Amino acid sequence: MSDRGLRISGLRVNVAGNSILKGIDLEVEPGSVHALMGPNGSGKSTLAFSLTGHPNYEIESGSVTLDGQDVLQMAADKRAKAGLFLSFQYPAAIPGVKVANFLFAARQAVRPGTLTPTQFRALLMEKMELLDMDPGFLGRYLNDGFSGGEKKRLEMLQLAVLAPKYAILDETDSGLDVDALRAVGESVNALRNSEEGKDTGFLIITHYPRILQHITADVVHVMMDGRIVKQGDASLALRIEREGYDTIREEIGQLA
Amino acid sequence: MPSALATIGIPENLQGVISRLDATLVPHDAREQFLARSFELRSGREKAGRFWKIDIDALDYSALNVATSVPVKLHVPENARAVVCDMQTALRTHRPIVERAAGSAVQPATSKFAALATALRNGGVFVYVPADAAVGGEIEITYEAVSGAIFPYTLVVLEAGAQCTVIERVTGSEDAFVCGITEIVTADNATVTYAVDQQLPADGRVLFTRAAKPGKDSRVNWAVSELGGQLSVTTVDVTVENSGVTADVAGIFFPRDEQHVDLISNIAHDVGNSFSETLVKSAATGRGQARYLGNIRIVQHAQGTEANLRDDALLLSKKAHIDSVPALEIAANDVKAYHGATVGAIDEEQIFYMTSRGIDRESAEKMIALGFFEPAIARFPSEALRQRLRTALEEKVRS
Repeated sequence: MSDRGLRISGLRVNVAGNSILKGIDLEVEPGSVHALMGPNGSGKSTLAFSLTGHPNYEIESGSVTLDGQDVLQMAADKRAKAGLFLSFQYPAAIPGVKVANFLFAARQAVRPGTLTPTQFRALLMEKMELLDMDPGFLGRYLNDGFSGGEKKRLEMLQLAVLAPKYAILDETDSGLDVDALRAVGESVNALRNSEEGKDTGFLIITHYPRILQHITADVVHVMMDGRIVKQGDASLALRIEREGYDTIREEIGQLA
Repeated sequence: MPSALATIGIPENLQGVISRLDATLVPHDAREQFLARSFELRSGREKAGRFWKIDIDALDYSALNVATSVPVKLHVPENARAVVCDMQTALRTHRPIVERAAGSAVQPATSKFAALATALRNGGVFVYVPADAAVGGEIEITYEAVSGAIFPYTLVVLEAGAQCTVIERVTGSEDAFVCGITEIVTADNATVTYAVDQQLPADGRVLFTRAAKPGKDSRVNWAVSELGGQLSVTTVDVTVENSGVTADVAGIFFPRDEQHVDLISNIAHDVGNSFSETLVKSAATGRGQARYLGNIRIVQHAQGTEANLRDDALLLSKKAHIDSVPALEIAANDVKAYHGATVGAIDEEQIFYMTSRGIDRESAEKMIALGFFEPAIARFPSEALRQRLRTALEEKVRS
């Protein structure tokens, strides 16, 4: 089972001709939590979209494998079926498509035939209670007129319902109040403690360390200008909280 | 010697059939005048062009076999305090009401297709709801163009405080041709919803003039779905001549293959303190062609009017085309008027979001396209009708 894990090596990506990722190496093992931190514009979201197959991101070189499968050759839906999930920073609104129908279609696509509609409904209710969501949510149109916090909760609900092998959370914590942040943390931890999600590996993208008070990171990576410039344990996040990114930037500068 | 009618290019079959049509519906001499009028008038529709291939002013009627009566099925909710009957019966039993109401919302002498529908009127339905009666459930009228061209006239009259919902289904067999008029006339404080579900076969043609004249503080809801036929030309009007009126127009159409749909809605706010809301959702695929013109007119003294118009068009293939034109003509200064129109393909970000959840691209596009129609579908009465529309749309998205 040595090929298990989400393995990114030498990944270079450009967007509209601009080189954004300049060689990323990163490996998320099953069941582990990796935090990817870095200032705005360092390329964190580009990595998230490149991994999940957004058509605007052009892969120049490098490879990504998910438990040995070549991810970069797959269309976005195939990547999701292989077990990859992205919690969007700005999820699209889709008027006319009800949350409940969307969630069921997604669950059926990713884990076909595993739940009857009744069992699915029970699962939804349980997960929604955990996220402090009103059941009325299910009848609303997907992200249509949702507040920022509601969108993030719905992303977390999808994470819980789809129980992917590898989950990328792209700034799920930004713009959330303390309660919503706690709900996100609890949701991730509940998945990690569940049968379906005990092996889920996480890549948590953030530029504030506060979400890491709720979810303990095994490894913290710091990204700047399209490269991973530093790695460490959870204490690295605390250092960033204290000092910001400037001292790390200076360190890198001295090394270069 | 050629008759006067022949000289202005009226096909012989139309001229010849008049003597065989029921003179109690429209007297023969009036029919001849309306027929001539129809061929003199222009439709006012855009001409054929690069995308739109049909000249609406030069439709070929010469192969039409005009039926001598209109096959119609009526469904009336039990215990409904309403009169629902065919037009011939209505002219015997409720003639004064028919004569008082007919022509108040539609002036057939000024409209090409209303004139044609009057000239060749071969049946229709009368709906009458007496004062303060509320009809629960839906009155259903099904016109069947199965043995010859039909020219139905539907007249809906509501007295003060009356309420009803009518669903008109337009069905037919191969080569169906329907040219009709719907006229809604209400007294004060009435509420009427009139829904149209046109699902003719792919080679059918349908030309409809539909108009409402609501009384003071009344509410009129039009919900028109034009999903069938090779050609659909429809006008939906509300003439607001009384204060406190609320007019709601919802439209759905979806041409595919070689289908052509031309829809015009007109809301004329001739008095103030009146409200209107127009919502049109359309899609086109294949070589489907559509034109929508949404007119809102607010005259100078119609202060305190609120009018909203929104039309969104979704293009699902490169050769499909939709012209969507909101036209607001506002002469009053103390009004709230809003219009918004969009035309475009499905947003790639929406598709990416859904596919990132494992849903394949085709299913994602289908879900998004069907969802796009939902706000308009929600304006149609009865879950059964809404479901029928969803099924028809799903079928169209699939092909």
